[in-house]
Order: sequence, then C-alpha cells, then structure tokens
Amino acid sequence: MSGFLSYMRGDSILHRLNPLTKLVMSVSLCASCFITNRHGVVAGIIAFNLLMAYSAGGLGRSLVMSASFGKLALVLFALQVFFVRDGNVILSLPLNIYVTDRGALFSSLFALRLVAAAMPLAVVLSATRMSDISNALVRYLNMPYKYTFVLTTAMRFIPIFSEEMAGIVEAQTARGVEFDTKNFFKKIRLLLPLCVPLLISSVRKIEGSAISAELRGFNLRTRESGYKTYGFAPRDAAMLVCCAVIALAAKI
Amino acid sequence: MLRFDGVSFHRGPEKVISDVSFEIRAGEFAALLGENGAGKSTLCRLSNGLLKPSSGRVTVCGDDTARTRTSVIARNAGFLFQNPDRQLCQNTVLGEIVFGLEHVVSDRAERERRAGEMLAAFSLDGGRDPFGMSRGERQQVALASILARKPRMLILDEPTTGLDYRECMTIMGVVSRLNAEGTTILMVSHDMEVTADFAERALVLSGGRLIADGPVRRIMRDVKTLDEASLLPAQIPALAVSLGGVFSDAFTVDDMTALVERANATRGEAAR
Ligand SMILES: Nc1ncnc2c1ncn2[C@@H]1O[C@H](COP(=O)(O)OP(=O)(O)O)[C@@H](O)[C@H]1O
Ligand SMILES: [Mg+2]
Repeated sequence: MSGFLSYMRGDSILHRLNPLTKLVMSVSLCASCFITNRHGVVAGIIAFNLLMAYSAGGLGRSLVMSASFGKLALVLFALQVFFVRDGNVILSLPLNIYVTDRGALFSSLFALRLVAAAMPLAVVLSATRMSDISNALVRYLNMPYKYTFVLTTAMRFIPIFSEEMAGIVEAQTARGVEFDTKNFFKKIRLLLPLCVPLLISSVRKIEGSAISAELRGFNLRTRESGYKTYGFAPRDAAMLVCCAVIALAAKI
Repeated sequence: MLRFDGVSFHRGPEKVISDVSFEIRAGEFAALLGENGAGKSTLCRLSNGLLKPSSGRVTVCGDDTARTRTSVIARNAGFLFQNPDRQLCQNTVLGEIVFGLEHVVSDRAERERRAGEMLAAFSLDGGRDPFGMSRGERQQVALASILARKPRMLILDEPTTGLDYRECMTIMGVVSRLNAEGTTILMVSHDMEVTADFAERALVLSGGRLIADGPVRRIMRDVKTLDEASLLPAQIPALAVSLGGVFSDAFTVDDMTALVERANATRGEAAR
C-alpha cells in the first residue's frame, strides 16, 4: 500500500522530461479522457499510461493502483448501469430491472474514464521529485515559492501521516481497542477519538519543520535561489505532440 | 507464557526475523538486546499478534497469535510502545487510564477504583492534560493505562530510552515490583546497566537471529556474543572480565566492593 505518490528513482525518458512538460502532459491526458466519448480512446490513454509506467520501471505499482481504482469503478458501473432507462434492452431481470445497450456503454465509459483519469498524475509523480516540480513552477511560471512550498510539503506529509495513523491504530489495538473487528461501523466509531493523537503529532511535526525552515533562511528565498535549471529538449516536444494528438483524437 | 517456535518474518523480500525459538515462562524478567535494526521491535509486534509470523508459531498464554485477534491477546499481554504519544488520546490523565479499562472492565466504579490505584502508584495528577507533560511523564501515563488492565505479561519496547535517570528509575521501580508480584516481563533495552540491574535473563538478537539466550550474568560476560551483536557489556561485568582472577565473578557494585576489600585485606596481611 505504501507510496503510490512517492518518488521512484530512475533514468528513463519520463524521468528526464522537463517537470513542466510532465505537468502539462498529465493535465492534457486527464482532460482527454473526459472530452472523448469513445471507449477506444480511453482504453488507448490507459495503454499509453501503462507504457509510460513500464518505461519508468513502475508498471507493477501502477497496475496495483489501477486495480484498486478498478474496484471503485466497478461499483460505480454497477450503480449506474441499472438507472439508464432508454435504449434497447439487452438484459432483463425480475422486478422491472433491466440493462439497456446505452446504459451499458455509458456506464462502462464512465468506469474506464475514472481509471484512465487517475493514472497520468500518479505515473508522472512517481517519476518526478516534488522539489523539481516546485522549482520549475517558481522559475518558469513565476509562481511564489511559498505556495509551491506548501504544495510540495503537503504532498510530502501524506505518507508520513498515513504511517503515523497506522502506528496509532497499532498502539490502540495493542491496548485492547477492537480495531481488528470486522464490523465497519464499529471501526469508524473507534477511529474518531484517535483523531486527537494524529492531530497533535501532526501539528508537532509541522511546527518543527516550519521552525527549522525558518532558521535556515526560508524567508530569504527568491526566484533566483534555485540552482537547478530545466532544459526543454526534443523529447519534451515529442511528448507534447503525442499528447496533442491524443487530445485531437479525443475531440473528433 | 510466551513461546516462539521456529518463527521467521519477512517484509517483502527481506527476512527481518529468521528462525527464532524461545520460551518465556510465567514470572520471568527477560531483556531483549540487540543493535538498532536487529529486529527487536518486530519481535515485540510478533509477540502480541500485531504482526503474524511468515512461518513458525507464536503462542501467548496458550493462544496462537495467527488465530487470535490482537485486541483479545491484549487482555493477557500489555504492550508499551517506544512512542507513548501514539497511545494517548484523552484530555486528562484519568480519562486516559479509564479509556484503557473500558474494553476490559464493565463496572464504572471498579474502573475508577483501578485508575485511582494507578495514579497513586505513579504519583500522577489525574486532572492534567497528558499532551502538556514531559516525555517521561507521558511514558508513565501510557504505562499506567496499560497496567490498570492488570495484564499477566508485559512487553516493553525501549521503555527508558530518552528518559532522565529519575524517570527511568520510577518506571523500572514499578516494573520490577510488578515482576516480583508475578507479572512476566519482556523488555527491549539499549541500556545495559538497566538490563544488568533488573533482568534475570537476556535474549540477544543480531540481524534477526537469536544468537544467545541465557542468564544476564552469563551473557554480560560473553564478550564474543556481545561483540557480534555490537553491544557493550555493563561496566562492572566488563571490569570483572578485564581484571579476571578472583574478580571475574563480580556482577554488581556491591560484589566488586566486597572482592576489592577482601583483596586489599589479604595483601595487607601478606605485607605484615
Ligand atoms: N514499517 C517497516 N517497513 C519496512 N521495514 C521495516 C519496518 N519496520 C522495520 N523495518 C525493518 O525491519 C528491520 C528490523 O527493525 P526493528 O524491528 O524496528 O529493529 P529494532 O527495533 O531492533 O531497532 C530493520 O531492518 C528495519 O529496516
Ligand atoms: Mg525498535
């Protein structure tokens, strides 16, 4: 379960792209999923994502992730497919429940989109350091460093929080709180009081890192402080053209 | 009380615990020693079912941990974590202790009586907010909330790390009193002096393997084993080993003082 968003080291094409290219790429792929009405295009986008993940060495991880999104998509598919009432009936069940061809097409497209749209950002983030994204945003898009810092820090804290929460649940189970129950509602009720220790430890951690950033001259930072520059290579152009083609294919 | 039979534990491809077997009998005070990353905390988590062995079998008070829920095992085995903050979740010390009891004692008056007992044992103020207390005090609150449940066995993961001398002695005083009253103790510790003073038996882990298991007095003198586990013996046993001869059996300050005095006396007689 650990680290869907965490960085994976590597030296693939995806790793070497300009961080801005990668951002544009993931946004455009994501948008293409929603522009199109054709299953083939969405499936193509999924395939393209898997190809990128494979080239970056994270195929396994991205399959696991799509599988978990797939489960959610399946639930949504099942919920929707019975509610579309027009079109030709292809399956009819008792109690006036039936599935139409339009319903099946619409819901399957919706489910596929969900999986396809979640992938690009996850694939890109697994091959990009957050600090590179924020440096590039500051340097080339003139975004204030403070904002990008908040963004990268928030991302960085997600795995730390989930680890902390797992630790807290563990500690409470060991003192006899029945987190290992099968009853979902009971579990939720037991989880509520734990928000206190999570909040406290989070605030302590954040305060600690804020003070330490302050002491190291956080306020003195300007646009020119970053020493890294990010070139724009032919591979960036190629990738952007690829995405434009996909977006065009989605449009028609 | 606690039994490991050929237990191994993998984390991904990595083998964190390999083929560990031992048994801790009721009433024993055992210390688990080893350098950082040796697998001590993992072994503790295996002991109360938070982790299930990849192979082999762990039994606590007769229950197989693979088949018993941790919250059930917790009725017999109390567990104090390295980080007390993960355990504390109430606004007052009293609330914290009562919270730990809610899952075992159904009678409210009995809960409050037991909580009162614990406050007295640690001389804690029940109305204070645990999060405003020092690290050592929070550790004591966490321990008090576990002890209120009267577990038959207590697993302590580095209970004294980061505490000052007085806080350390308060905790160890309570623990050794419990042990004298019959509670079984398994304690992870980096502090060889504390181990030498309180534990009877030592288990030494190195790279996930159990490389020694025996009386603390013997293991403290076993330079080769300690070296393999990157541990330094407590000072008096180390001195005893390096002096050798009549001193080699000394284990406590009192032992050593007596031996030195006797040696001085004999030398005095010989000179006369
Ligand atoms: N949550 C975890 N995820 C991955 N590896 C872990 C985790 N916890 C411990 N380990 C690994 O297991 C080994 C033993 O760790 P641990 O039992 O915590 O050692 P100790 O308590 O003796 O310092 C170490 O090599 C550590 O890197
Ligand atoms: Mg540890």
